[in-house]
Amino acid sequence: MPRKWRYLIPHLRRKAEREMQEEFRALQEIAGKRELGNLTLAAENARAVWGWPRLEGVWADVRYAIRVLRRKPSFAAAAVVSLALGIGANAAIFSLMDALLWRELPVRDPERLVTFVNSSRSYFGYSRFAGNRGGSMENIAACSGSLVRRLDTGRGPERGQVELVTGNFFEMLGIQTDAGRPITPEDDRRGNPAPVAVLSHSYWQKAYGGAAVLGRTIRVEKAPFTIIGVAPAEFFGVTVGEVPDVWLPVSTANSVFPGPSWLDGKNNNFLTIVGRLQPGISMQQASAELTPVSIQIDLERNGPPRSEKDRRSLFESKLILESAGKGISFLRDRFSEPLRVVFWMVGIGLLLACVNVMSLEFARADERRKELTVRLAIGASRGRIARQLLTESVILAAASGLIGVLLRQPLAAALVRLILVWDDQPARLSLETHSAILLFVAAVSVAAALVSGVMPALRAARGAVQPGLQQGPRPAGGSPSGRFLRRAVAAAQIAISLVLVAATCLFAYSLHQLRQFDGGLNRNRLLVADVDPADAGYEGPQLIGLNLRLRDRLAGVPGVEAVSFSQNGIFSGRNYSTHFDADGFFNADQRTHFSAFDHVGPYFFSTAGTHVIAGRDFNERDDPGAPKVAIVNREFARRVFAGSDAVGRNLYVTAAKDTILSYQIVGVVQDIRNDVRRPKPMFYLCQIQTQTQAFSTRFLVRTRLDPTAVIPSLRATLRAEAPALHVDQIDTAEELLDRTLATDRLMAVLAWGFGVLAIILAGVGVYGLQSYDVTRRTAEIGIRMAVGAQRRDVVWLVMREVALICGSGIAAGTATALLMARFVESLVFQMRAANPLIQAAAAIVLVVVGGGAAWIPARRAARMDAVAALRNE
Amino acid sequence: MDLLKGTLDMLVLRTLVFGPLHGYAIAKAIRQTSDDALEIEFGSLYPALKRLELKGWVAAKWEKSENNRQVRIYRLTPAGKKQLTQEHAKWADFAGAIARVMGPAPEI
Repeated sequence: MPRKWRYLIPHLRRKAEREMQEEFRALQEIAGKRELGNLTLAAENARAVWGWPRLEGVWADVRYAIRVLRRKPSFAAAAVVSLALGIGANAAIFSLMDALLWRELPVRDPERLVTFVNSSRSYFGYSRFAGNRGGSMENIAACSGSLVRRLDTGRGPERGQVELVTGNFFEMLGIQTDAGRPITPEDDRRGNPAPVAVLSHSYWQKAYGGAAVLGRTIRVEKAPFTIIGVAPAEFFGVTVGEVPDVWLPVSTANSVFPGPSWLDGKNNNFLTIVGRLQPGISMQQASAELTPVSIQIDLERNGPPRSEKDRRSLFESKLILESAGKGISFLRDRFSEPLRVVFWMVGIGLLLACVNVMSLEFARADERRKELTVRLAIGASRGRIARQLLTESVILAAASGLIGVLLRQPLAAALVRLILVWDDQPARLSLETHSAILLFVAAVSVAAALVSGVMPALRAARGAVQPGLQQGPRPAGGSPSGRFLRRAVAAAQIAISLVLVAATCLFAYSLHQLRQFDGGLNRNRLLVADVDPADAGYEGPQLIGLNLRLRDRLAGVPGVEAVSFSQNGIFSGRNYSTHFDADGFFNADQRTHFSAFDHVGPYFFSTAGTHVIAGRDFNERDDPGAPKVAIVNREFARRVFAGSDAVGRNLYVTAAKDTILSYQIVGVVQDIRNDVRRPKPMFYLCQIQTQTQAFSTRFLVRTRLDPTAVIPSLRATLRAEAPALHVDQIDTAEELLDRTLATDRLMAVLAWGFGVLAIILAGVGVYGLQSYDVTRRTAEIGIRMAVGAQRRDVVWLVMREVALICGSGIAAGTATALLMARFVESLVFQMRAANPLIQAAAAIVLVVVGGGAAWIPARRAARMDAVAALRNE
Repeated sequence: MDLLKGTLDMLVLRTLVFGPLHGYAIAKAIRQTSDDALEIEFGSLYPALKRLELKGWVAAKWEKSENNRQVRIYRLTPAGKKQLTQEHAKWADFAGAIARVMGPAPEI
């Protein structure tokens, strides 16, 4: 009925109303008043024809609800604040999970993208795949992920991120640039005299302020590149959590990463291969077609298989493809589990807020009993009353939802900075409001409205008519069902709080355990300074000389006990591995001939406080003229030499241009661990002998006294020696360790927040309940005291009730916590999540909180004047 | 006599076939044509008129009456004519069916 819609416009309604009255007047003149009968009824019925009764009913409910809520602003404020926080937090976590785990890449047909999980990651491997694509893949490209390099836009070098991509990368993803053009296969030629670059949208805004950049030159590590395009704002490559500043063709790798060629050599693994399937082709088909290429690459890299077992495992291996429609991400692997747990915690927090609001609504419904019974008496249906009360809850929840949407963005951004930190950089995720998020907020708001409003509304509407209208005393304590309901709600609050408090204790203790873990070195009074000698314009062997000079100067600073240096540092994300061989290493499977390694300075291990198990540390006698030496860690010795002596054996390491250098092992040291996982095998070379440096130097400084006091002098010394040096960070070893524990710290911090919130809410809940109860039972208490009850009997009366509530709440909460414990098993360190001590601790906390909260009303009851109480009767 | 709601609509449409009328005149016409058997309360007629107007089967306009008063006149629309034909046919079928079942008045 299209015409009826017009009557929603108030202007037209009023016009129709006026005309109807006019018509009645005119007809009355013609027909006479009595002929027409009951015009009021006629008007009512006519209005029903063009009216929208249900809609108008709802609108009336809404207006009334707003009036009611405005009369009690404290209640409305309390409810909206707690719900808004809960909804906002839930929405924030949801948008984080959406951005990290579920959202598809903003590229063409993301569902056809795949990555090669177990393939070679070198340029050599890529070119083999690209050359033998076969029919199943429409295109195969490769990218390197964000790498730190120095960018110079003309204002001097600044730290930035570049990503190396093959020429067909943008084409494969179907990305058109906002300005200019993307990188094409023609640009990706080795020795291209005019290398090109594409800027990301955010970098374009940040570094150039959005000005015209096409044709301008940007220098990456002093190599000039011509800017040919700017990527669209939502594009960030295929790695979720990173946004490169500049995309460069992979053929320029050697100018951007000076040193051994990244493009040559079969073992320089820096690329991730991403491909697009032909329409209609499955991953299995593509895998079957490309596995022979993968095997071929393996043969060319590692030579023919040495044993029958190796031959079989090689030829039975399969190239594994994985869907890349959601991008690739290390963050995802590391944080998907914690994020899920946080999601549930935040959900429980919201549930707690809803239960709180529900108990507040119960109390309010009791207060409004008179008003409701009057409405029932003059004919409102119970359904209508329930609907009106529910409307109040809906309005509260809607307001909270709106505020929650506003809170989402800052909360999510704060969470990203707090949690999703990889290698000292917070992740960069797109946190804009999507329709999915709005839908989620709407759903959560509706759920909140229902949970907090339905039961009070139904109960209030069921209220008996007679007792409400009487002015006399109400039955002591209210109706039995009312009392049970209130206690049940309080017990539910205790139970939910217990779960959150147990989580707090669990994660806090787990973090404590983690901080004690033995990293293989002495963390006391140890500083790490990150210095890049290449900043000072040094190159090649001069870098090493500078390292040594800086070490000597730092050692001279008052308060410093010992100084050494290395490339990786400690507790850093840095990790390099390479191919090696060793005397007596009988494992012919070439795949096990990879180990992590580091270039360190003299006395590195004694400075770090790492125990030397056999042989010796590096010292200044290990110079370029002396025999080449190496030191290995215990895990290396175990895996390679299986218990026999490592000292004295030879280690063969593949260096630049595939040459093999031989080093004699002169020491075995304790495992230095970056994190709590199993130790990795590592070998160490003396940088003075290798004369290679690829990245910045990390100086280890052991101080005599408080490390932070020495930091300013260290900075001054470094600046004095080489003024052009840029000293990034000077951290203590403890701080660095803490950074690797980001996930665990996150869990502990959030759990603390929730635990505190839970305790407050539980306490308030119990206090409110008992306070209310005592007020209602004033007469009863007065009578008891009049017939001889002592003060402590009265106190016991109150506390007995609290004990019952706390007991049942703790029982329910403990059961729930134990059930849910298994979901957080992977996040706790060296303990079972269902640890009975933790549960007991949480229970004790809640008993104290519940008891303390009930104490005040209990004392008030005990100090009541019996005579005054009875006089009120 | 009690009328079904749909029947009243049909009667009004039929009454307007002879020409536009105002609300009271329609009620009077139905009473007169049925020989006072159908006394339509204005309170029931008026909402029915509004319903028909909403459905587009009648159209209303303000016009000057005999004694120079502005009065609202209702007219049958073409759509209303079509609806009337359909209703009439349905009613005839209905009446015929009842008549067949009831047959002539039984002899007592």
